[in-house]
Amino acid sequence: MDFPINPPIGDRVRRKETLRFVTGTGRYVDDLLPPGTLHAAFVRSSCAHARINGIDVEAARAMPGVRAVFTGQEVAQKLKPLRVGGSPLLRQIKLYPLAVDKIRYFGEPLAVVLADNRYLAEDAVEVVSVEFERLPAVVDPEAAMESNAPCIHEEVGSNIVYKYHFATDGIEKVFQDADVIVKERIRSHRITACPIEPRAYLAHYNRDEDSLTMWSATANPHSLRTRIAEMLSFPEGKVRVIAPDVGGSFGVKIQTYQEELLLPFLSRELGRPIKWCETRVEHMRNGRHGRDQIHYIEMALKKDGTMLAIRDKIIADMGSTYTVDHSIMASALYIPGVYQIQNYAVDAFGVATNKTTHGSLRGIGKADASYILERLVDIAARELKLDPIDIRMKNFIPADAFPYRNATGALYDSGRYHLALTRTAEMAGYEQLRKEQAELRKKGIYRGIGVALVMEPTSSSRIHATGGYASCRLRIEPSGAATVFSSMGEQGQGHETTIAQIVASQTGIPFDKITVIHGDTLPTPYGFGTGSSRSSVVLMPSAWVAGKLMRDKILGIAARQLGVVPEKLEIGDGKVFAKENREQSIAVMEIVRTAYGAIHLLPENMEPGLETTGYFVNPNIDYEPDEKGRMNTFSSYPYAAIVAVVDVDIETGFIKIVRYCTVHDCGNMINPQIVDTQQQGSIVQGIGAALYEELLYDEDGQLLTSTFMDYRLPSVEEVPALELEHIITPNPFTPLGAKGAGETGMLGPPPALCNAVEDALTPFGVKIRQTPLTPERILDLIEKAKVSKSTHG
Amino acid sequence: MVKTITLTVNGKPFSGEVESRTLLAHFLRDTLRLTGTHLGCVVGRCGACTVLWNGTAVKSCMVFAVQAAGDEIVTVEGLAQDQRLHPLQEAFWQNDAVECGYCTPGMLMSAYGLLKKVKEPTEEQIKKAISGNLCRCTGYLNIVAAIKEAAANFAG
Repeated sequence: MDFPINPPIGDRVRRKETLRFVTGTGRYVDDLLPPGTLHAAFVRSSCAHARINGIDVEAARAMPGVRAVFTGQEVAQKLKPLRVGGSPLLRQIKLYPLAVDKIRYFGEPLAVVLADNRYLAEDAVEVVSVEFERLPAVVDPEAAMESNAPCIHEEVGSNIVYKYHFATDGIEKVFQDADVIVKERIRSHRITACPIEPRAYLAHYNRDEDSLTMWSATANPHSLRTRIAEMLSFPEGKVRVIAPDVGGSFGVKIQTYQEELLLPFLSRELGRPIKWCETRVEHMRNGRHGRDQIHYIEMALKKDGTMLAIRDKIIADMGSTYTVDHSIMASALYIPGVYQIQNYAVDAFGVATNKTTHGSLRGIGKADASYILERLVDIAARELKLDPIDIRMKNFIPADAFPYRNATGALYDSGRYHLALTRTAEMAGYEQLRKEQAELRKKGIYRGIGVALVMEPTSSSRIHATGGYASCRLRIEPSGAATVFSSMGEQGQGHETTIAQIVASQTGIPFDKITVIHGDTLPTPYGFGTGSSRSSVVLMPSAWVAGKLMRDKILGIAARQLGVVPEKLEIGDGKVFAKENREQSIAVMEIVRTAYGAIHLLPENMEPGLETTGYFVNPNIDYEPDEKGRMNTFSSYPYAAIVAVVDVDIETGFIKIVRYCTVHDCGNMINPQIVDTQQQGSIVQGIGAALYEELLYDEDGQLLTSTFMDYRLPSVEEVPALELEHIITPNPFTPLGAKGAGETGMLGPPPALCNAVEDALTPFGVKIRQTPLTPERILDLIEKAKVSKSTHG
Repeated sequence: MVKTITLTVNGKPFSGEVESRTLLAHFLRDTLRLTGTHLGCVVGRCGACTVLWNGTAVKSCMVFAVQAAGDEIVTVEGLAQDQRLHPLQEAFWQNDAVECGYCTPGMLMSAYGLLKKVKEPTEEQIKKAISGNLCRCTGYLNIVAAIKEAAANFAG
């Protein structure tokens, strides 16, 4: 197929949306305050596992300014349970907006207070008393798998709520015959996304119209609308969800939450707007968490470093009130990663624990897979005394093997892994770095060099879930300006700019005259959440299709008026002109007037007006597995190679990132500036995950890290200079040649920095199996390694 | 307890009643409806609510409104003058220092507080000035570049 790309696609155009953000005129949910609004505050559980015997809300009802209080029992009588998502492999649980008879995690909402302002609502929360009978909590997923473990969901009868098995033929034989087998238990620790805007909701049931409007800081407005209608048994057409400006998501706002479904119900009950903005502590306890998988993984190799097979057992901690399972499948399908490994077996278990619910987080499942694989490859290289670059180069899928089907059936669109790592090594001056490392070591400076190549499957589609397609509706208004109605919301990705770039390039309408409407379910076509980096893979192509249809229409109208066939016409400078004679032209405005007002001049059978709708279907998706259980559920495969350099202070355990060199390939870039900025932010989020951030629970299931004091996001002080380059291998399956761009960055630091730190501490023989790499942990590792050396060596 | 206070916000005088426990951030947002000042943690750790209090950048969630009685507050809405963007705003736009925009007002006000006191800040000084402002989108590099660029164009 021929996919022409006209400027300004590919330009570093500055973003349209930024102007309102720098002037403080962005509008987030918390900025809205309709008259008569009541403010909600939640009574939450103070333990992780208990039976609820009673909730006394009478004192709260009598507090000043309190208009209503609801308990879980009262709500459950009037509502259908939430629809839990996930694949057919996931055991279904019953879930209501407030806990009904049992507490399953620390901070679970039990009752809600509605008052004239938030201060008064919080005052009333303080006087609610909850009678409960504590049950033993289980926070360790391996302990939760034991048959005598406390059962979290009695209706399921086991804490193992998801099982998946996949194996290629003859794998046992490959392991038997291998020269070397490397094995390890590696855990990806629990973290969370932490957008700076916490969740925020405002529901307004309008009695006069019998309609409901919900403003939500959601990344998934249309799906939310469907769920609200379903739960309230309310006509979907009378529910409008608006995601105004949303202050970041990174996956955490794509799921539907208990509180999010409760507010529309409360508003309908009370006939008043109801608002709730989450506190940061609530966000840490109730926002979805991510990662937290244990892998027992082994790789079979030849002596020369040729990788033959991988076997993995995955134990994924799903937390308590789980609603999705796609993290497990994403890990299971991509453990073979960027290497030519066609022998693969995996057993994956999703396990319920008394922790906060697990869900989407930038790089979900794939980040775990790439971290664990890239650590294992380094462990193998060490075992075989091979250079970490050499072992990778030896086993990468070659560029001429694409599209490449991996052992699980995943179809990689394109890639040049050898080139990416070669370029990164050149950028870093790898040979020189090794020499410097040896010199520095003599001076007692522990410098480490870490290598990784991470691949991020993007734009997922799963049967009965999300993302099979996206759409954009385009209208050229009678004024000559254009409006695009996008099916996907945005949370900082810059769609208002990139969609306008695409439409401008197709239609000739100036960039500044294009308005992009998104996040509002009323004017926009139905669509799915902004996740899995799918906006560049499906949404942008749908804008391209809408633009192309519009272009065809404009040329068709001009053709009739000019008496020239459309193929010989071109759009430019506000005119349509004949390529062979530029004098023969008609103003675009004249075409607009014709389409609306002089429709007798339109070509035969052409619809009046100037509206088009573009759809783009996620390419190459398999919705059903083949007879061997193989399938492809993601459609594009960006990747990044990394060479990271660190110095480890063995006195303090402090890690300094000296250099971070990376070459990224996300195919064609619609706006390289936007990609660069996202990439930088994504890498820094990955640095946080590798070095600083961890959600810690005590054995009773109390979250110990519920503020920014103890859950440490990187500040500007922790950010090293980033050396960032792109190579461009266009995605052959989308009209713009783009792949997902927002997540790959985050995948790099965990393996690259762990590999670098282990490399730095080679003299001690330190093995890193736990992250994040806090100074305390590093000191502990050095100490243990010293003891072990003195005992054994 | 309700108290009557008088203060100046973005050059405009305000006089009225306020609950003594109301945070300055809530007062600006809910009473004056200046919603550019954002709330991200309300315990002084994220910096999204940063404003200038008598010329110094402070986190407005850590101050009661009554403490600012008689004082001068500048919020992000007070940066642009006569429909013209402040050099910091222009530089943030030009350097793509913004994604979701939620931390941006606080980031701008911390930078403004710095530039009011230090005419030619070093990179270290810039980093220190915004080290209490968390951004989860951009990775900070473009923000530092923007503040450097704005410093060169800032005249007071």
